[in-house]
Amino acid sequence: MRAVASVGVRAGVRADLRAGASEAARSPHALDRETCGGATSASATTASATSASATTAPATDRQRRGATDAALAVRLDGIAKRFGRELVLRDLRLEMAAGKIAVLKGSNGAGKTTLLRVLATRLRPTRGRGWVFGYELQRQGDEVRRRIGLVSALGGNYPVLTARENLRLAATLSGLENADLDGALAGVGLTDVADTLVRTYSSGMKKRLGLARLLLLDPPLWLMDEPYAALDENGKALLDDVLAAARGRDRTVVMASHELERSARFADAVLELAGGSLRRSGP
Amino acid sequence: MSGLGAGLAADVAADVAADVAAVVTIARKDLLQEVRSRAVTVATLFFSAVTLVMMAFAMGQDAELLRRSAPGVLWVALAFAGVITAAQSYQSDLEEGAFDQLLLYPVPRASVFLGKLLANWLFLLALGLLMTPVTLVLYGAPAGPSAWLLPVTLMLGTLGFAVVATFYAALTANLQAREALLPVLMFPVVVPVLLGAVRSSEALIGLQNTVLAGGWLQLLAAFDLVYFVACTAVFHLVVEE
Repeated sequence: MRAVASVGVRAGVRADLRAGASEAARSPHALDRETCGGATSASATTASATSASATTAPATDRQRRGATDAALAVRLDGIAKRFGRELVLRDLRLEMAAGKIAVLKGSNGAGKTTLLRVLATRLRPTRGRGWVFGYELQRQGDEVRRRIGLVSALGGNYPVLTARENLRLAATLSGLENADLDGALAGVGLTDVADTLVRTYSSGMKKRLGLARLLLLDPPLWLMDEPYAALDENGKALLDDVLAAARGRDRTVVMASHELERSARFADAVLELAGGSLRRSGP
Repeated sequence: MSGLGAGLAADVAADVAADVAAVVTIARKDLLQEVRSRAVTVATLFFSAVTLVMMAFAMGQDAELLRRSAPGVLWVALAFAGVITAAQSYQSDLEEGAFDQLLLYPVPRASVFLGKLLANWLFLLALGLLMTPVTLVLYGAPAGPSAWLLPVTLMLGTLGFAVVATFYAALTANLQAREALLPVLMFPVVVPVLLGAVRSSEALIGLQNTVLAGGWLQLLAAFDLVYFVACTAVFHLVVEE
């Protein structure tokens, strides 16, 4: 609980949260206050420090919950996802303040991609509720999608469109009329092949194009599924720069990665998915 | 209050304009992909031509039989071509996760459906407009004075078919046996549309009865409306797994 509060990321199942927690910390409001303390703003830190006064504050439960949800980039409350008989995610609880970077680790099939797809509103949880910047995943999907961007393991590109056309499509559908397509392409080193069909690209180039789309749209929450996969050393260095820039601009990042040594350098928290459960394993 | 009302109306108008722009953008993207790959064009043209020719050969030299069967053969060819069109419209998106990405943009899921529907409909309509004169010539069916209603029949018939096909293609897109399941699931639902389209075409080509054709066209339009509203309304449930 101590380390969690200091970085603004907390994860676990119900049992984990209860272990060692005071009676007050078990109440939703106490959890929220502590998480607020993990946020980067000074006011949020003050809120944590004055938890006693917060208990007696005149605000209603709903007001406090609303304010907390808005301050949190991600909040999962008992999320479970079942595919057929297999329970891939079970009772996930996560609270993550805005501006933090969390790395998801876990073996193949642990549920990292499933969790990212739940956050991206592509999968409906079997149980539980989740919020992104205070907007509920299941009920306010349109609002959630305004605030997220996904770099998927497959790239997410149209093979018979050019890189520029792929980015233009993304910008148009995101309501960005005057988006800097050339700048985004230059940022990932694809200027020379901007007007070449994506089906001629290598896997690494497709991954770079996915990154370019993320940089172009620049949403507050970045969801990244194995972003280092398929990239060469230059590409990985480029991604390092992108993540460093994300931290500098208070972007929130949830990244599933097997390249722990590399990705953990940017992480405020490393979360491990095992047996469908989420627990914090570092740093 | 009037200022507030005007502001609200302007917001709604802006939202509608953005949604329409999204629909057009998605349709244009799908059509551009088809222009470049020609995968569906080649398959559907070849399939339709083979269907028309084989059926004409099978019926022999009975001119009356040929003339009477022309509307049915035309819509059978269009229906099977429509299945290929709808299935492929998702297949190319699914290959590299582009459909996932499409569903993450901040546009209503209904706009995604309508964009894909618009592309599929325009493609099927163009195919129908190309195949109709070929069918009339090959089957010796005369186009009477009410032939101007044939394009209307094509528009309504292909629209209804495209609505159902686009919806069910999304439903089966992630399934392993999608090629087999798509026609099995959609044809029972789309029968009223095909029936209306065939009967209307028959009234125009063979019977040359404009009044009868008008009745079938009204029924066709009603089915189109019902399917259009229902499929658009529940599409979001289909694409969220």
